[in-house]
Amino acid sequence: MSTTAGSTLTREAQDLAEGAAVLPQRPYHVVVWNDPVNLMSYVAWVFRSYFGHSSERAHQLMMQVHTEGRAVVASGPREKAEQDVTAMHSYGLQATLEEAE
Amino acid sequence: MARAFRPTTRGYKAELETHERRLLSQLCADVITMLQQRSQQVDPEPAGEAPDDEFAHFRAELAGLGAGLDEQQEHDDGAEPGLDPPEDQALARLLPDGAADQQQAAQLRRLTEASVRETKIADLRAARMALEHDPVTLTDEQAPVFGRALNDIRLTLASRLGIEDQDDAERIHQSAGQGAAATTEEFMAELYVFTTWLQETLFSAMLDVLPEDE
Repeated sequence: MSTTAGSTLTREAQDLAEGAAVLPQRPYHVVVWNDPVNLMSYVAWVFRSYFGHSSERAHQLMMQVHTEGRAVVASGPREKAEQDVTAMHSYGLQATLEEAE
Repeated sequence: MARAFRPTTRGYKAELETHERRLLSQLCADVITMLQQRSQQVDPEPAGEAPDDEFAHFRAELAGLGAGLDEQQEHDDGAEPGLDPPEDQALARLLPDGAADQQQAAQLRRLTEASVRETKIADLRAARMALEHDPVTLTDEQAPVFGRALNDIRLTLASRLGIEDQDDAERIHQSAGQGAAATTEEFMAELYVFTTWLQETLFSAMLDVLPEDE
């Protein structure tokens, strides 16, 4: 019946649309790297005030950077991640963009 | 003797000696000069070079001949050419790569480095203004700006002092405060430790007044 054919077509069209929307929006990670200069209090403050992380989360991420050498502090579309990396550089933190696997 | 930053009803306040304020202000000016030199190097004023630019592509082709031409074609297919990181260690630390991959980092740098430089120059200028007065008084909006400027000073000094890991940082902290600084390096170490202390007191105070989590 025409309704069935119609719904099948719609589903295919939907799949195509979703595929197109998903591809360019592949998520990117914002990675902050450890360095011996930036103070723990400063790094924790930046994570809280810029990303809006809770004090517990900010502390956890700061300690992860300190002990493991790096931490993913945010993820999102490429443009947002670029913006975040640029902001981290303005704060003097070593940050890089990384394509999510 | 300086007194640390502490929260007040209207922002933050620290009492610094006149020579301490003058030294910090001079350091801000030095970092501004470094960043401005980088700006001039990578974004030179196009004045007077317009006629040459018309032939830039032609001259590049002439100069490149073989391999150069292939590269040029690759650039035409893909994104714009990137921007190389600064050669100076301290500048490279102030303006780090934004990606592990060199080519990706160079392309990102072309898009974002100017904005990072401008933010830093504006921060350092605002810090110089704040350092004109004793006590140094910062509103809630000025505090992060001043803190970023202190951080840029510390990054620059750390790079000049060769601080690359935790042990280097420890060594600098141990060596400072041993008495009158006799060499440039000892003096820089004193400044590094002083700026570190000042930044630590500011951000401890700022963390204390951040609203608690919901």
